[in-house]
Amino acid sequence: MATSSKVQVILDKFAEVSARVGNQTHMRSLRDAFATITPLYVMAGLAVLVSQVVMPLVLSGDALASAQLWGSAIGLGTLNFSAIIFAGVLGYCLAVNKRFDNAIACVVIGISAFVVMMPQTIVATVGSAVHATSVTDKTAATMSYPIDSLAGNLGMPEGYELTGVDATGAFATTSTGANGLFGAIVIGLLAVTLFIRLSGIDRLKVNLGEGVPPAVADSFNVMIPMLLTLSVFGLGAAVLAGFGTDFLSLIAACIDAPLKGVMNTGPWAVVVIYTFANLLFCLGIHQSTISGVLAEPILTMLIIDNMATFASGQPIPADHYMNMQIINSFALIGGSGCTLALLLDTFLFSKSKSSREITKLSILPAIFGVNEPVIYGYPVVFNLPLMIPFVLIPDLLIAATYGLTCAGFIAPCVVQVHWTTPPVLSAFLATGGDWRAAVWQVIEIAIAMAIYLPFMKVSEASQRRGSS
Amino acid sequence: MKILLACNAGMSTSLLVQKMRAEAEAAGLEAVIEAKPLNKALESVADFDILMLGPQISYAKAEAEEFAGGKPVIVIAMADYGRMNAKGIIEQARAALVA
Repeated sequence: MATSSKVQVILDKFAEVSARVGNQTHMRSLRDAFATITPLYVMAGLAVLVSQVVMPLVLSGDALASAQLWGSAIGLGTLNFSAIIFAGVLGYCLAVNKRFDNAIACVVIGISAFVVMMPQTIVATVGSAVHATSVTDKTAATMSYPIDSLAGNLGMPEGYELTGVDATGAFATTSTGANGLFGAIVIGLLAVTLFIRLSGIDRLKVNLGEGVPPAVADSFNVMIPMLLTLSVFGLGAAVLAGFGTDFLSLIAACIDAPLKGVMNTGPWAVVVIYTFANLLFCLGIHQSTISGVLAEPILTMLIIDNMATFASGQPIPADHYMNMQIINSFALIGGSGCTLALLLDTFLFSKSKSSREITKLSILPAIFGVNEPVIYGYPVVFNLPLMIPFVLIPDLLIAATYGLTCAGFIAPCVVQVHWTTPPVLSAFLATGGDWRAAVWQVIEIAIAMAIYLPFMKVSEASQRRGSS
Repeated sequence: MKILLACNAGMSTSLLVQKMRAEAEAAGLEAVIEAKPLNKALESVADFDILMLGPQISYAKAEAEEFAGGKPVIVIAMADYGRMNAKGIIEQARAALVA
């Protein structure tokens, strides 16, 4: 409490501005939507782990390939379809946060507007054969043509081979899956906002007169705003198609790639964001108010990309090493500020009765990453000596874990594990079963304990002085 | 008395809710107490008499009041929240409902 009044004013202002940004309806809806869809990603992560890590241990050859179809089927319905699902979930969350009563219509609008903006023709990569069904004789089986003979039939010049074909009537998983998430966010927010705005205009409401059941009128009242909203997006899609592009490709190039790049140009962007986020928690306001808006959406997309990459058996590209799991597994040990280390220090070295009491109360939740009792009860809030390690330790661990990943000492994170997963297990699962990551997490706890210890002593000394 | 607790992810209030239920039972109070993440809490506030926010989401008070439509919305004090002072928090809720 030794903060001077000038510092106090700055901190208050910081808390106020952060809260205003974090509580902005669209931003909060985005956070709510990610929270809602997380179980699906965790489920997908489990399926990826089983089919890519566990199954190869016990099976091989054709049996392995068949068994892995289970995992790829789940991957298709979760990772590869997550942008579509997300567009709907986001529509719902936005409707609730805007207190719009027809939330289900917003789910429909979110999904529909997103798909409207997808490329209508996709380029399909051609495997070893193409398939054709007889047009005249429906009973005839599907025929497979080897690519070589087909290339001849197409009159392709010598020296060229068939690599891809334009396909219509298909969706690409690059649009519907993890890579489409940014598009789903932008289009979902725009479309549902427009829809809700249009729904509020009385002149667009159909008046069927007395005697018509209100529900009938309601059903018409949804249709006009829906028609207008989707028409606007359809027009946008058509114009872009005229220029030979589509909205999703534009977003991927102009927003998605640069933001993911910033997050992966060293650990700095993430470190800065979490410095402010954890500082905010020291003032009593949840860190996700900042991190959930500035970092989590992009970092979550990166880990979902990684899950999809890992599921397909490909190596993780270096520009995906920084992702949400680096935070959740390696920089939130026992909750924000890695306070599990503070509790362990208290158990081992503290003589303060009140600190030991709160530690007993909070150690179990802390193992599962819930540490509000520590933050408010120990307390960390407005307790300057403890605020310093609370902010610095996560920064240090984010940077160190990222560095170790880049240097190849630990495997990159490939699975989204829920933030409530206890330490050691969390790192092991997140890296697809790398024991070195689990060992690193133990070392992290030791480092955090060493840093917390002197600050804990100072905090106790000042508490003694305060109470005597 | 129906008390709804809300926090960021509904995790830490779920810890508090157990203690509050035990406390209410011991005191012979007829109380329904539930904990939800903020967004879910805003949806279901109509079914409760009072909404109590964890201090970490104190910034949401004004908005929560809009959703609550005249029902009391209280931010739990940091010290009470940290120490899981179930008894004090129930007292606070009762006082607000009487007022």
